[in-house]
Amino acid sequence: MKFKDFDPDKYKAVVLPGGFSFGDYLRAGSIAASTETMKKVKQMADEGKVVIGICNGFQILVEGGLLEGALLPNLNLRFISKWVYLKVGRKDTVLTKGFEKDIIKMPIAHAEGRYYHSDAERAKRLAVLYYAGQDGTVDEKYNPNGSLFNIASVANEEGNVIGMMPHPERASFKLTSLDGVTDGLLLFRGLRKW
Amino acid sequence: MVRLSLSAYEMELVRKKLGREPTEAEWATIDALWSEHCSYKSSKVYLRSFPSTGERVVMGIEDWQDAGALDVGDGWAIVLKLESHNHPSAIDPFNGAATGVGGIIRDIISKGAVPIALLDMIRVGNLNKDRNKWLLKNIIKGIGFYGNSIGVPVVGGELSFDETYDDNPLVDVAGIGIVRKDRIVPSIAKQPGLRIVIVGLTGLDGLGGASFASRKLSGENEIGAVQIADPFAGKIVLDVTLAVADKVDAIKDLGGGGLVVGVTEMANGLGAVVDLDKVPLRVSDLTPEEILISETQERMLFAVKEEKVKEVCKEFEYYEYPCAEIGYFTEDSIVRFRYKGKDVVKLPSDLLLSPPLFMWDVKRPTKQVKERPEINMEEAIRKMLIHPDFVSKEWAYSQFDYEVGTSTVIKPGEADASVIVLPNQKLLAVKGDANPDLCEEDAYECGKYIVAETYRNLATVGAKGIGIVDHLQFGDPRKPEVYYTFVEALRGIAEAAKFFNTPVVGGKVSFHNENKEGKPIKPTPLVVMAGLVENKFLRPSVENGLSVVMLGLTRNELRGTFLTKLYGSFGDVPKVRLNEDLLASELIIQGINEGKVKFAKDVGRGGLVTALFPILIKDFGLEIQTRQIKTDAGDDLLVKLFSESSGRFVVLTDDPEWFIRNKKGVVASIIGKVNSESHVLKIDEKSLDLSQEVENYHHYLYKVIEND
Repeated sequence: MKFKDFDPDKYKAVVLPGGFSFGDYLRAGSIAASTETMKKVKQMADEGKVVIGICNGFQILVEGGLLEGALLPNLNLRFISKWVYLKVGRKDTVLTKGFEKDIIKMPIAHAEGRYYHSDAERAKRLAVLYYAGQDGTVDEKYNPNGSLFNIASVANEEGNVIGMMPHPERASFKLTSLDGVTDGLLLFRGLRKW
Repeated sequence: MVRLSLSAYEMELVRKKLGREPTEAEWATIDALWSEHCSYKSSKVYLRSFPSTGERVVMGIEDWQDAGALDVGDGWAIVLKLESHNHPSAIDPFNGAATGVGGIIRDIISKGAVPIALLDMIRVGNLNKDRNKWLLKNIIKGIGFYGNSIGVPVVGGELSFDETYDDNPLVDVAGIGIVRKDRIVPSIAKQPGLRIVIVGLTGLDGLGGASFASRKLSGENEIGAVQIADPFAGKIVLDVTLAVADKVDAIKDLGGGGLVVGVTEMANGLGAVVDLDKVPLRVSDLTPEEILISETQERMLFAVKEEKVKEVCKEFEYYEYPCAEIGYFTEDSIVRFRYKGKDVVKLPSDLLLSPPLFMWDVKRPTKQVKERPEINMEEAIRKMLIHPDFVSKEWAYSQFDYEVGTSTVIKPGEADASVIVLPNQKLLAVKGDANPDLCEEDAYECGKYIVAETYRNLATVGAKGIGIVDHLQFGDPRKPEVYYTFVEALRGIAEAAKFFNTPVVGGKVSFHNENKEGKPIKPTPLVVMAGLVENKFLRPSVENGLSVVMLGLTRNELRGTFLTKLYGSFGDVPKVRLNEDLLASELIIQGINEGKVKFAKDVGRGGLVTALFPILIKDFGLEIQTRQIKTDAGDDLLVKLFSESSGRFVVLTDDPEWFIRNKKGVVASIIGKVNSESHVLKIDEKSLDLSQEVENYHHYLYKVIEND
C-alpha cells in the first residue's frame, strides 16, 4: 500500500519503520510529520490504537508531536551503525508489557538519535529503553549518541504509542542477527500481551 | 563552451567521415561518445580477451556497457556492477562519492534488479596530509549519505593508503542486485517507433563529466563537471523504475555523457529523434548543448511502447516526479536532437558508436632492485601492524547502514568476505581486492594474484567463487610503460578468471589517473568476486587452546610485498601458482563443511604476521614455532613471517590432524597454538607484547581523523 492511500479505519495498529522519509531533508522526519498520512496516524494514536515508530519512525513521531521530546544530531555528528545493549525500563507499554528480560541486544543505525527533553522528570517517566552495558549498567560510557539519561526509546503515558532508535526487526532472525540473538522478535511478540 | 578531450587526429577523422565541419553541439556530442569513459577506445581490443561465458552467466558483457548477471539458482540471478568515481571525488569528495553510489544503483535497476548490497574500495594518500584526511572523511560521508538514505547496505570493502593517490584518490563502488532470471530488462531499444521517455529534472551540474573523467585532472576549477547527489530523488527513481520495469522495453541510466550518450547507446544502431525543449529542466535557461551533455543525477531513460507511455509516467507522477516523452526511435540510423524545431545535432549513429580503437605501444618498465637490507624482525612486525592498511576500519563502516534490508549475514569487519542472504535463502559471499604494490612490480602476476586472493577470501567463509567484475585503473594509456601494465594486468586477470571458472561478467576501465606532475598512479586493477556458499558458512571465532594450522608453501618471494613497501624493493616477484590457491581453497571449504574450522584467514598482504593479528585483537595470545612453517627458504625468518606467496591460509582448529591428513596434496603443518595471554605473540623463544599495536588498531582512524 502506498502512503497517500492509507486508511486508518482499516487497521488496529501501525508501524512506522526506519528509513529516510523524504530524504530526511530539513530535519529527520520533519517533512513526513507534516503529511496528511501522519494526521491519520495521530488519529489512531488518539483512539488508543497501537503506534510503533522505529528509528526514522521514532523521529517522525517526535516531530509530529505524538511523542514528547526531540531527536537531535548525534553528539559526534556522524551516522552510527552499531550493536548495543539496552536496559528495559518501563514494562507497561505495547511492546514491553510482561516482558521477561531486563537486558536486550539490538543494533542502532542513525545520525539523529540524541534524545532530548526539556523536562528531565518527564523524560524519566516516559523512557522505555536505555543504552547500557552488558550487565545492564546505565552509564555515560555506553551512550552512543549523547542521549539524555542514555534514553533509546520513549512511549506516551498510556503506552500505546512507542518510539525507539534501535532496530528490533534486525535482531529478529538468527541468521542475520549478531551472535544469533532474537531479542527484537521477543519485543514484537509483546504485542500479543497488549 | 565545454572543454573537449578529442585529439587533433580524432577531429580530423570526424571531419573526413562526415564530409563537413560539425556544429558546436555536434562536437560536444562526439566528444562525449568518443570519450574513453564511454567508448573504451584504448581498452576494448584487449577487453575482448576476458573469459565471459560459463554455465552461470545469464548476461555477459554487452559491448562492455552494462552490468553482468549470474544464475544463483531457483530462477534468480544476481546483477553485478563495479565503477569508480575517482575524478569527481578528487574535487568534491562528498558529492563525487555519493553520486558514485547513485550511479551504481541506477545501473542495477536498469536491469530491472533490486539493489541489495554495495561494496566500497577506497584508496587515498597518506593521512599525514590534511587534504587526504579531508578527502577520506568526505568520501565516507558521501557514500553513507547516499547509501544509507536509499536503503542499500554497504556490506564490505577496502580502505587503503599510499602516497601514489595523493592527488588522485580511487573511489570504487560495486553494486549487487537480484532479479528473476526471466525478468532482466535490456538497455537497448530493439524496435523503431518505441517512444523515448525521460524521468527527472536536467540541471547544470556534471557538464561534460565523461570527457572530464577521460583526461588527467587539470588543477583548474572543474567543479562544474561534478554532479550533485539527491538521494531522495534517487529513492523515488529506484522504487518506481522497478515498479514499471515490466511495462517498458528498455531502461538506461543517464550517467556518463548524459542524454546524448544515453539516447545514442539505447538506439544501438537505430536512429532517434529527440526534442530537447521537451526535457524537463531544473533551471529554465539551459542551452541545447547543455541539455545534451548535462550529467545531472537521478535521471533515467526508458524505451516505451506508445500506448504505455501514460501508464509509466503516471507512476512517477504519483510521487510528483517529472516524466516526459521526448522523442522516438527511427529506422534510419540517424541520431537527431532538435531544439525549437531546428536540428542541433544530426549525426549518423555509426559515426557516434564507432570511435577509432587504439592499441597503444607497450614498453616493459625497468625495475630498480636493491640489495636486501638488514631488517630487525621485531621492528618490522611493529611497523607493519600500525600501518593504517591493517588497522580497524570501524570508523568508516560504522557510518554505513550495513544491515538495512536485514539480509547481511557476515558484517563488515567480521571476516575476509561479506555474506548476504538471497531471496532463495542461498548465501552469497562477495569481496574486492587490489594490490597496487605488486602490480607496480609485475602487473601480470598481480592480475593473477588479485583474482586468486578474492577466491581464497571467499573460501574462508565457505563460499566458492562464481564470477567477477573488474575495474582497471591506470595512468595515461598513451604512455607505453603505463599501457604495458594495463595489458599485463588484464592478461593476468583473464588467465586466473579462466582457471577458477569465474567469468568476467562486467567491468570498467579508468585511465588518466595521475598526480599533478603527470606521474601515473601505481597500476590499480581491482576485482570483485561473488561466490555461493554451497553448504555451511563460517562465522570466524577464536577459542583458547585451538591449534594454528598453516596451509600452503611459503616461498622466498619478497618483492612487491608489504615488507618491501616499508623497506625498499628487493628479492623475487611472487609467482602465482593458481592450482595451489584452488586446492587449498577447496580444502578450507571442505573443512568448514565438516566442522573442522573455527577461524580461517588467507595469507595475503603483510604475510603471516598480519594474518595472525586478527586473533590477537580478539584478546588472545599466540605461540608460533617457525621451524614448523613449510618454506623453500630454510631458516629465513623474514620470508616465513612476511612472504605473500599465494595459495596459503591460516586455520584455527581443534582437529589439526584432519588437515595434515588431507588428500589434496596441500602442504599443511601445525605451527602453533592459541593461548589466553592477551595480545602476546610468541615467536619461537621471543615474546612480543603487542598491546600498543592492538590499542592502535582499535583507535587509529578515530584519533587521526576525528581527534576522538
